[in-house]
Amino acid sequence: MNILSFYVSRSYQFLRGEILVIPSRTIALLLCLFLLFFPLISANDFILRVLILASIYAIFAASWDLLSGYTGQINFGHALFFGVAAYTAGLLNYNLDLAPWATIPIGALAAVVAGLVIGIPCLRLRGTYLAFATLAFPLILLGVVSAISSITGGERGFSGVDPLAGSRVASYYIVFPSMMVLGFIMWKIADSNTGLIFHAIREDEVTARASGINTTRYKLLAFCLSGLFAGIAGGMYVHFMKVAGPSTLELLLSFQVIIWAVFGGIATIYGPIAGVFILYPLREFLLSRYLHVPGELTMLIFACIVLIVLLFMPQGLITWLRDKTEKICPRCKLQNVATRSKCRVCTADLD
Amino acid sequence: MKWLTKGAIILLIACLVLAAVSCGEEEEVKELRIGVIGPMQFQHGQHHWAGATLAADEINAAGGIQVGEDSYTVTLVQVDSNELVSVTDASSAAEEAITLDNVDVLMGTIRSEAALAVQEVAMDYETIFMVCGSSTVEMSNKVADDYDRYKYWFRITPVNDLYLGQLNFLLVGMVAQKIGAELMMPPKLAVMAEKAAWTESIVAAAQAYLPPQGIEVIGVWQPSDKATDVTAELTAIEDAGANMIMTALSGTVGIPYARAWEELEIPAASVGINVMAQADDFFENTGGFGNYETTLNTLARDVELTEMTLPFIDAFIEETGEMPTYNAGTYDAIYILKEAIERADSVDADDIVVELENTDYDGVAGHFVFDDNHDVTWGPGYITALGVQWQDGELVGIWPPADGSWNGVVYEGIVDYELPSWVVEYWTQ
Repeated sequence: MNILSFYVSRSYQFLRGEILVIPSRTIALLLCLFLLFFPLISANDFILRVLILASIYAIFAASWDLLSGYTGQINFGHALFFGVAAYTAGLLNYNLDLAPWATIPIGALAAVVAGLVIGIPCLRLRGTYLAFATLAFPLILLGVVSAISSITGGERGFSGVDPLAGSRVASYYIVFPSMMVLGFIMWKIADSNTGLIFHAIREDEVTARASGINTTRYKLLAFCLSGLFAGIAGGMYVHFMKVAGPSTLELLLSFQVIIWAVFGGIATIYGPIAGVFILYPLREFLLSRYLHVPGELTMLIFACIVLIVLLFMPQGLITWLRDKTEKICPRCKLQNVATRSKCRVCTADLD
Repeated sequence: MKWLTKGAIILLIACLVLAAVSCGEEEEVKELRIGVIGPMQFQHGQHHWAGATLAADEINAAGGIQVGEDSYTVTLVQVDSNELVSVTDASSAAEEAITLDNVDVLMGTIRSEAALAVQEVAMDYETIFMVCGSSTVEMSNKVADDYDRYKYWFRITPVNDLYLGQLNFLLVGMVAQKIGAELMMPPKLAVMAEKAAWTESIVAAAQAYLPPQGIEVIGVWQPSDKATDVTAELTAIEDAGANMIMTALSGTVGIPYARAWEELEIPAASVGINVMAQADDFFENTGGFGNYETTLNTLARDVELTEMTLPFIDAFIEETGEMPTYNAGTYDAIYILKEAIERADSVDADDIVVELENTDYDGVAGHFVFDDNHDVTWGPGYITALGVQWQDGELVGIWPPADGSWNGVVYEGIVDYELPSWVVEYWTQ
């Protein structure tokens, strides 16, 4: 009982001292709570579908950020991880009747292997060359899918994969909390020493190597970690859609993930997650349903939005909002509300 | 006195309003909501919509669908699937139509992967889904595997890809006979099939079954469905000595193929499936090349499959300015649905499914009967499809042969198949 009250009291203190004092964290907490309890307000299948897909794509976008945002290894073919996991999970379930709880981790492991397969030959490449090399891999896999169509179903794919859960609400309560947990894990990785090394590699790889960091190992680690999280998203996707097909490898998906991440703000993890949760429902509800914008035009509209965001908010929307509402203490590096003149912890001048 | 007059007027107005309201209640409009799902920015979706609109307008003008004492108006809901770009969008659009727009029936789709995804969504909600665009047999196999879940699915157009393979061989047989008769030589066949799952069975069957029938298969060439140049393949076919090419092309490769085939005057008659050659604008897209290209199709301009065919084609051309493709099968789909509902005397999906299974209907594309897997039946007396050929810039029907040599099936408007002039010249000089 004492332990319980200790943890409750500590959580309360953390909430008061670290969350409620910063508006962006308060808003994020309220949004998470709202989305967590959303099925109690509305159990509309279509709205839950949009939120489930947004959650899956949020994991996917954050995984791109971990690799490309933090480590600077620009990946134009991120759909490879998603597609490899989707096909692996789908085929294992379809042919061997393995349950989703088994197929999703195995699919994610397959994506990790794909990360190694891409990472090793691409280690010597940088910048544009790396970006174009990564672009090639999903296209190669599309060719493989086509070549072994007796197994993969070729261009039509295959359907009849088991659903994630028996009901839409249950699927929501698998996917949304998973997104929060995986997002938190990615954020913690990015905030750890490993994340710091990822940063260092992006900023100046030569200096990082001169400091004794095995950059090869860390770049491979970034590819594998990114593959792991994107793979979990791909596995969840195939069990949610109940169809696996070449669309999970298409270039559109690889570009979409970049749009979401750049819009939200790269090298933040939460930026791409927020980007997906703003853009995806916006597209499904506002553009498609109420403004009747044809699907083909939405990519163009989003590309324009990203251009505008990049022009006025080069760090992304969420980062821009954070910078407008918060200040970092020059002494203790803690976040403070922009209206404060002194740091909430060390009382150093903020202006 | 004045207040009495005022009161009388108010009373009169109130009575009129009440009468109007009660009249409205008596004539409560019931509607059957049909979601027409397809890529609406492309010809496929536009033909889905145009076919459905024609049928709905005709049915509503004739009093709607009768269910007992009630008359149901057909209300169409346009569902843009964006499926050529995103399968996720197609699946989401289907669910949006079912859950938010409350459609009772879905019909349409074109891309097989998207059709499979939409099939899953529709079956989740036990909503009738009538395919008017995808030929994959995977969908009908689902009905055989799990009838209780997939019984709400039916295919209207085209016939499934297994039947398409058989049809292809019938066309090949007809052209082989012509080569034997006119060129006095045995047929040597090259197979030009895009690299895709649906062509695999066709390629395998061609290699297995055509040689015993005296048609030598000299090779298989498999370009991408989006290839922009097949000159190398065609040159290789010419060098191999083929006098026939069997095509299985559904993608845009059909355009550069037909252009290069005539431009290079490849001395081999082209016959089979070339979806691009089914469209009105084929000649424009090829820059005027592609004459004599022969392909399977659902309809042809002057060919009367049933009494309904030509009036429908005329109405469709008047409405859209284009010849209807197989995607306009939504027209037949709505009439088949109407008949099933009226026989079932119910709008309950399970009752309608029972009556859809008993369908025996003469539609625009032929005589509709569904098989056990809810696939439209192909064969003499049922849906036969057509062989069509571009002759002097016109798409004309050339199969089933006008002499009735295919099981006695004869349609008004069929003309004779013609070998390309350069093929005849090459082999007779």
